[in-house]
Amino acid sequence: MKLRTILPVPFAGLAIGVLVFLLPRTQVDNELHLERLRRLQAVDVLDVQLNRLVSEARVSSLDSMTDAGTVITRKLGDALDALDHGPRSLRGLSPTLDRALATFIDSMDEKSALAYDFQARNVQLNDRLVQNLDSVPALIEALAAAAPAAQRETVRDLSSRLQTEVLTLGVTPSPSNMPQIAQLLDQLGAAVPKAPASYTEALTQLHGRLDQVLEDKNDLVGRLKDFLGRPTDRELRAVEQDYLDWHQGQVDTANRYRIGLASYAAALLLGLAWLGLRLRRSYRELDRANAGLLHANEHLEEQVEVRTRDLKRALDELRASQAQLIQSEKMASLGQMVAGIAHEINTPLGYVRSNAGIVRKTLTELRTLIAAQSRALRLLHDQHADEAEVAQALSIALAHQESLDPEPLTEDLDSLLGDAEHGLSQIGELVSGLKDFARVDRSRTDLYNLNEGLEAALKICHNQLKHRIEVVRAYGKLPDIECSPSQLNQVFLNLFTNAAQAIEGRGRIYVHTAAEADGVVVRVLDTGCGMSEEVRARIFEPFFTTKPVGQGTGLGLSIVYRIVEDHGGRIEVRSQPGKGSEFIVRLPLRQARPEAPATTSTAVAA
Amino acid sequence: MNPATAVSVGTAKPRVLFVDDEPRVLTSLRMLFRGQYEIHCAQGGAQALELLRRQPVDVIVSDQRMPGMTGIELLRAARELNPAAMRILLTGYSDLNAIIGSINEGEIFRFVAKPWSNEDLTATVARAVAAARASLAVASARPDLPTSEMPASAGVLVLDDDPAVFAQIQAILGAGYRVHGATGLEQAVDVLARERVGVIISDTRVQDQPVVALIGTLKRHQPELVAVILTDRADAGAAIELINQGQIYRFITKPIREGHCKIAVHSALRQHQRLAQQPELHRRYEVEPAVEPPSASPVKGLLDRIRALRVWASGRA
Repeated sequence: MKLRTILPVPFAGLAIGVLVFLLPRTQVDNELHLERLRRLQAVDVLDVQLNRLVSEARVSSLDSMTDAGTVITRKLGDALDALDHGPRSLRGLSPTLDRALATFIDSMDEKSALAYDFQARNVQLNDRLVQNLDSVPALIEALAAAAPAAQRETVRDLSSRLQTEVLTLGVTPSPSNMPQIAQLLDQLGAAVPKAPASYTEALTQLHGRLDQVLEDKNDLVGRLKDFLGRPTDRELRAVEQDYLDWHQGQVDTANRYRIGLASYAAALLLGLAWLGLRLRRSYRELDRANAGLLHANEHLEEQVEVRTRDLKRALDELRASQAQLIQSEKMASLGQMVAGIAHEINTPLGYVRSNAGIVRKTLTELRTLIAAQSRALRLLHDQHADEAEVAQALSIALAHQESLDPEPLTEDLDSLLGDAEHGLSQIGELVSGLKDFARVDRSRTDLYNLNEGLEAALKICHNQLKHRIEVVRAYGKLPDIECSPSQLNQVFLNLFTNAAQAIEGRGRIYVHTAAEADGVVVRVLDTGCGMSEEVRARIFEPFFTTKPVGQGTGLGLSIVYRIVEDHGGRIEVRSQPGKGSEFIVRLPLRQARPEAPATTSTAVAA
Repeated sequence: MNPATAVSVGTAKPRVLFVDDEPRVLTSLRMLFRGQYEIHCAQGGAQALELLRRQPVDVIVSDQRMPGMTGIELLRAARELNPAAMRILLTGYSDLNAIIGSINEGEIFRFVAKPWSNEDLTATVARAVAAARASLAVASARPDLPTSEMPASAGVLVLDDDPAVFAQIQAILGAGYRVHGATGLEQAVDVLARERVGVIISDTRVQDQPVVALIGTLKRHQPELVAVILTDRADAGAAIELINQGQIYRFITKPIREGHCKIAVHSALRQHQRLAQQPELHRRYEVEPAVEPPSASPVKGLLDRIRALRVWASGRA
């Protein structure tokens, strides 16, 4: 009961615990996600700006480029920091992402270094470039002046084209610039055949300047290409992709938890519904029980009556089956008795019959002897008899006599006949004992001397007792009492049988009778095994038995008890384990008139 | 008259021991058999065993209900002490347990009821004496053959209305035995004609026909066949008839107990082997002359068929 009241508490705790566990796992921080995307975006924008800045560096003013570069580089550093450090960064989310991020940041660092490098170099180279470019018109002028007049126009024309090309290279170089310049230089060289030394010198000077310009330009372009060639863009895309993958994973997990949460919630709801149903049902049952109680209260009287009728019927059935059981117990003990008596009778019958047969057979032999002797005697008396014939008859008679030896034989016959008489009287005694015991020739209630009854019973169980048990009789002078002799004989037989069964091996049974003021008392003592107090207390209960299964129905003593009760008597038992038991039966002189038979039957039933 | 002193030595007369607690029975029997046998009498089991220890006898005739020791207890002890002696129980009344005990433990030759008829008793004792004399040489040997010897060469026939009994016994005995089943007398004779059967396990009645006539005829025709009764309809009269007219070897009551049944069948097969090897023993298990059933009886034809059966025993074939 206590457990049932305590049990819901841990259950509720558990349910809430599961909720607390599930709920946060279904959430995805979108704001953080957007923030991270914004940061990536910022880095991307800055990267592009830096690229653009560097790309434009050639043309923009040096100061502004440096300033803008510093601003962008700082911003870029901050943005990268934001990506790499802090709780809202992309660091530590997944190993793949970490690796991509590290690669990207390394590249960015290198790129920044390159940008600085480029900037420094750019300033320097640009200075030189401007200087060189500024010197070009003077050199061209000198070249034109040095050219012979015949070719001066051609040289001027070529020179002006060269100047245009060089200017274009300085400001917006195109791939054709450099070969064009080289070609123009060659043409300038070829334009003046047998050129004067001043021309050649001027051309060489111009050539040297332009070579330097080209070299510087190439250096710058190479650096720019190197800078722009850094794969930061691709790496940033990879970081972004990895991040998005990770985020998608987070979203998927959250979705799974969401499904789990939904199922859990459904289960909880179902449980609640079931509890509700149960509650409803128990309320309904309670209502019904209440109604039943009300109804029962109203119909109590009626039910009592029905029950009483049922009980009465059961009692009647019980009585009937009890009577049946008693009958079968009687039959069983009758069977045992018959078995014993059959043996008792068959034994004397056996030798009586055998003896009769032997006597008859011997009589035949004796008859032959007598015949032989008679013949011999007759021949002896006969005057005319032949001597030889007489002698022969005598010898035959003698031979017969010798073989039979009649004197001991007749003694034997006497003894056989004596045994037969004894046997017959024994059988007669047994039969009369049976008759005495059963009292079939007497009325059901009679005046009876219990000493007779005890003797009759002893005779019946003689074969159980003989050789083994000595019966010591101490009969007092008893008045005849009014009773059912056959029933009391059964009581005595039962007591003797029990006593005999209690005695293992040899022992004694004492039978003691005495007259009392208003009745008689019979005591039957045995030197048997006795019984414990528990057994003694239950000894008269129906079906109580200490004998092995199949050897007793446990009804014997309950029948005894009932017969004594029916006679208005009492039966007591005293016992000492190991020493023996004593049954004391007290019976009144006269039976109560059957004026209230109902009371006796209830007494027995109780 | 002191019967225990009547021990004469050196006579060629067969020795018969009578045991009864009623001295008048002993007197009567002594007179009845006077001159024919050397007669010894004892008034109880202890006295009888004392006598047997001093001198073996050919036949023991004992009462069942005696103080101190029952007839079965005596005959069981006598079987140990003097295995060659034929055992007869002569009693006024015995319950079923006593009769079953006398079959299984006493292995008795006959069960004679009191009051007895002098002619029948004389004939029975004479038959017992003849059997004892005929088998004197071999019967003294302990009946136990070495247990390692597996007496499974001959088959076992289970005769019961209920075919489940056959299955059950087959399961109990296992693969080492050849077990045949029959649910009727006709079928049983068919099996006997076809197979070599050493032991027949049967209920007391099959298809409402008592089997005693069948077993008796079988015993007469094939003395080496050993019969075991397995029944839940045990009654004293039928059991006595079965011992006297069928010389059944064991009487087991249902429900079948595995160990019990196995031991009984095993020992029956050994007994069969013994009988097959030593035809001198056959007279010891001779059945009472049969009362021929009326020619109209359905059993009659069966019994004629049995008489025509092949004889399997190697010693007699």
